[in-house]
Order: sequence, then C-alpha cells, then structure tokens
Amino acid sequence: MIKLDHVTKTYKNGTIALDDVSLEIEKGEFVFLVGSSGSGKTTFLRLLLREELPDRGTIWEAGRDIVNLPKWRVPYLRRNLGCVFQDFRLLQNKTVFENVAFALEVIGRPKSVIESQVPQVLDLVGLSHKRDNLPTELSGGEQQRVAIARAFVNRPLILLADEPTGNLDPKISEGIMSLLDRINKTGTTVVMATHDKALVDRMRLRVIELDRGQLIRDQQRGVYGIEADAGAPR
Amino acid sequence: MASFSQYVVKETTTNLWRNRVTTVAAIFTVMVSLFLVGGSLILGQGASNAEIKWQQGTLVTVWMAPSATTQEIDAIRSQLNSFTYVHDCYYQTQAQDYEEAKHLLTPTELSVLKPELLPSSHRCVPNQPQDARLVIEKFSGQPGVQIVTAPTQALKNQQRTIAIAQWSVLVIASVLLVSSAVLILNTIRMAIFARKREVAVMKLVGATNWFIRVPFIFEGLIQGLIGSLMAGGLLWAGEWFWHARAANWAPDTLGSQMLLSSWQLIWCELIVIFLGMVIGSIGSAIAIRRFLDV
Repeated sequence: MIKLDHVTKTYKNGTIALDDVSLEIEKGEFVFLVGSSGSGKTTFLRLLLREELPDRGTIWEAGRDIVNLPKWRVPYLRRNLGCVFQDFRLLQNKTVFENVAFALEVIGRPKSVIESQVPQVLDLVGLSHKRDNLPTELSGGEQQRVAIARAFVNRPLILLADEPTGNLDPKISEGIMSLLDRINKTGTTVVMATHDKALVDRMRLRVIELDRGQLIRDQQRGVYGIEADAGAPR
Repeated sequence: MASFSQYVVKETTTNLWRNRVTTVAAIFTVMVSLFLVGGSLILGQGASNAEIKWQQGTLVTVWMAPSATTQEIDAIRSQLNSFTYVHDCYYQTQAQDYEEAKHLLTPTELSVLKPELLPSSHRCVPNQPQDARLVIEKFSGQPGVQIVTAPTQALKNQQRTIAIAQWSVLVIASVLLVSSAVLILNTIRMAIFARKREVAVMKLVGATNWFIRVPFIFEGLIQGLIGSLMAGGLLWAGEWFWHARAANWAPDTLGSQMLLSSWQLIWCELIVIFLGMVIGSIGSAIAIRRFLDV
C-alpha cells in the first residue's frame, strides 16, 4: 500500500528531515510512527500527503509513484487519504454535520450521497446526537472524533494521523485509539505518529522509529521504547 | 454540477458579505472609473457624430469682389457648375448678403455698411468634405474673386478640443481603473486570509485547485460587474438627460450634433460592462496567484 525507497528530505536550512529511509506498509496494517520531536515523523506524513517532495528516492501509494505525480493529480491522490491532526483543524463556523459533509462537498459528491454517508460515519464515531453542535460546544475528544469522521467519510485507503491524542487525556485517548482501530478493521491502512507511550505499549502493533531522520527501528508487535527482547529490526 | 453551482453561489455571497465594507468601496471605485471611461467613449462617439454632420454641411463660399462685373460673376458660376468636385451651387446677391449680415452685426456696425460694399457670393457644397480644398485652390485668385473660404480650420479646432478632453478623461479613468483593480485585489486577499483554514482543509480532503479558486474569481467578477452596471446606469441617465435638454436646442449646436443614437449608447454600455468584468477578473486573478497557495 505504501512504499518508500531510499527517501531523503533536506530542508532549505540544512536540516535533514529524512535520511535514506526505505520501508513498506501493507494494506490494512496499523503502524505507529514514533520518535522524539524533530525526528522526522511529521515530514514522513507530509511526504505521504504530497505536501512535500523528497530530494531523493521514490514513494508509492496504492501502486502509484506519488513523487512524479503531476501537480493537478494531487487532489485526486488526497481523496484516497484521510488526515487527522493534533489540533483537529475543524471549521469553527460549521456544525458537526457540516464539517464532515464539507469533505464530500468539496470533491463534488452529490447531496444524496452526503445525506446518506455523513450520518453513517457520525454514527460510527458516536456523535449522531451532536450533529447540529458547533465545534466550540464539544469536548476535545469529541472534536477529534469529528476530525476522524471527516477523514473517514470518503472511505480512504490510507488514514494518516499526526499525534491525534496529543491534546487529550489518557482516557479520551483510549477512545480515539479504539475508534482508529475500528477504522483499521474495515481495511483502511492507518499510519499514526505519536508520543503516547502507554497507547503504543498496550496495542502491540507495528512500530517504526525515526531518529534525526533515520529509520532506527521497524518492529512488528513493538513497544514505544526499544526492548531488549523485542526482536531484531525487519 | 448543481451542488458545485450551489457551493460557488453560497461561498461567493458569504465572502462578499464578510468583507462588505471593502466590497462596497471597490464597487464604488469601479463605478466612478467606468463612468469616466464611458463618458470618454460617449464624448469620442459624439465628436465623431458632430464631425460627420459638420462635414455633410461643409459649405465652400466663393466671395466675389464688390467691384466684380456681371461677366466675371457668370464666368465663375459656369466654371463652378462644370467643376467635377462641386455637387451643387447657388448664388447670393449683395442684397441677400446684406440681409444675412443684419442677423450677424450690431446696429452700429450695420449703420456704416452699405449693400454695394458687400461681396456677393457663390455658396457651393462639394461632393466630399475634403474636396473643399480643391475648390479653394481652383478659384482663389480668379478674376473677380475676392476670397474663397471653407470652415476647415474651425472644424480642426473643434476636433482638437474634443480630443484633448477625451484623452484627459481617459487618463483619469485609467488611474481609477488601476485603483479599482487594486481594491478588488485587496478584498479577495482579505477573503483568502479569512478562509485560510477552510482552504487548508479543502486541500487536505482533495478539492481541486479550480474548485478552491472559483468562488474567489466570482467574487472579483461580481464586484466588477456590479460597479460596471451602476456606471452603465449613470451613463444611461446622463445620456437621457442630455437628449431631454437637446430637444430645446437648435439642430446646428454642438450639443445636438454630438447626440448618440440608441445603438451607439448600447455599444458604449456593453464596453463599460465588459471592462468592469475584466477589471474584476484581473484583480481576483492577481490575488489568487499571489496569496492563494494552490
């Protein structure tokens, strides 16, 4: 589903964000991306979103080389990707329903599709009863659920989450994690950058660790920190 | 497609309402500048109309010396009648010229004037207005001829005055047109900043660049269009007022001769509306290119 081949990204100020990273993520996998701040996690996700281009190397998503993708095709690539961020990025002047519907509206989906898909996804995230509320009337956890609903409403092949539990308390984070897990069970590949040690340790899923742009660990059923008995990198 | 149109209408009206103060300022600047542009067009077209009417009425006058003999007068008449470039001629006697002078001179001036001191004249209409020059060349200096005149210089002076007025208005209008485009650019820039978050979300969920751009383009276009329609309305009102006043003027006055036909006015209005839309589009295109990162 996702393949990086010797990908290097250096910013104009000389910072090496990713250094010769190669890896593969299969369809339907759930992958945690860990590492300290500045390790290259966000750049990794931005490259997958085609918000950045690598200096070297190639990236494939769903069998497509996205580095050489013409600029006008990028929106169509993004329709297969869902994104969730730490700061939710909701539109404050739109209701829960409108925020989710917006994702379908701007890609030209007909009203009938919007009317049927939005309630379904709001039901999935457990916010049907708050469809007419504004984001300011919701808790942090609920806002993140709306953001996940918006990311998933178009049934993307890949869901990218950049520290989605970063602003939430542990109990709420559990709820968000279980929601992402349910989405993953529908066949969507999930890549989640996180600092949440407890969450990663509890889930025991694949963990990819970056350090100063280098891939230093790629571990199946891994934990947040390096374990002595966790097995060798893939 | 229907949902896209609904989306564009909704977003465009929201943007216009959100920045209503600058929107109104931009619309009024477009209106004033396009009113001046339209005024200049009407002035130019009016000058052209007056010129045609003047040229159609160009009269070459062959003034005979008061001492000219009947033979000399007859000889000139027969030459004029056979001259290829002359369409028609009539002869005005000294008495008739004196009658005409009565309307032009004050009683004091008239008291020293005697009909026998006045020249008689052959008044001729050339085939083409430019043929007047050939008549002047041919008959000047002939026996019995005092002078040959045609109002070519007056025509030139009038044309020059109108051209200067027209160019002055155009220069002012051009400066105002640039200001309007900049004002429209500014309102679009404000709309882009106000919707920065929204645009970022749109990009993330896969909206195409054109989908993001179109509401902003329409916003500029509508500002230009409303401004131009208001300018068109003012021009129409001005022309209507001019027509109403001209009904009381003599047909040979400049104001009457410059009047526009309905079709000429419609053309001027269409040009003004088109220019308004162009200004709006240019303003929004520059703003989108500079400030919208898609």
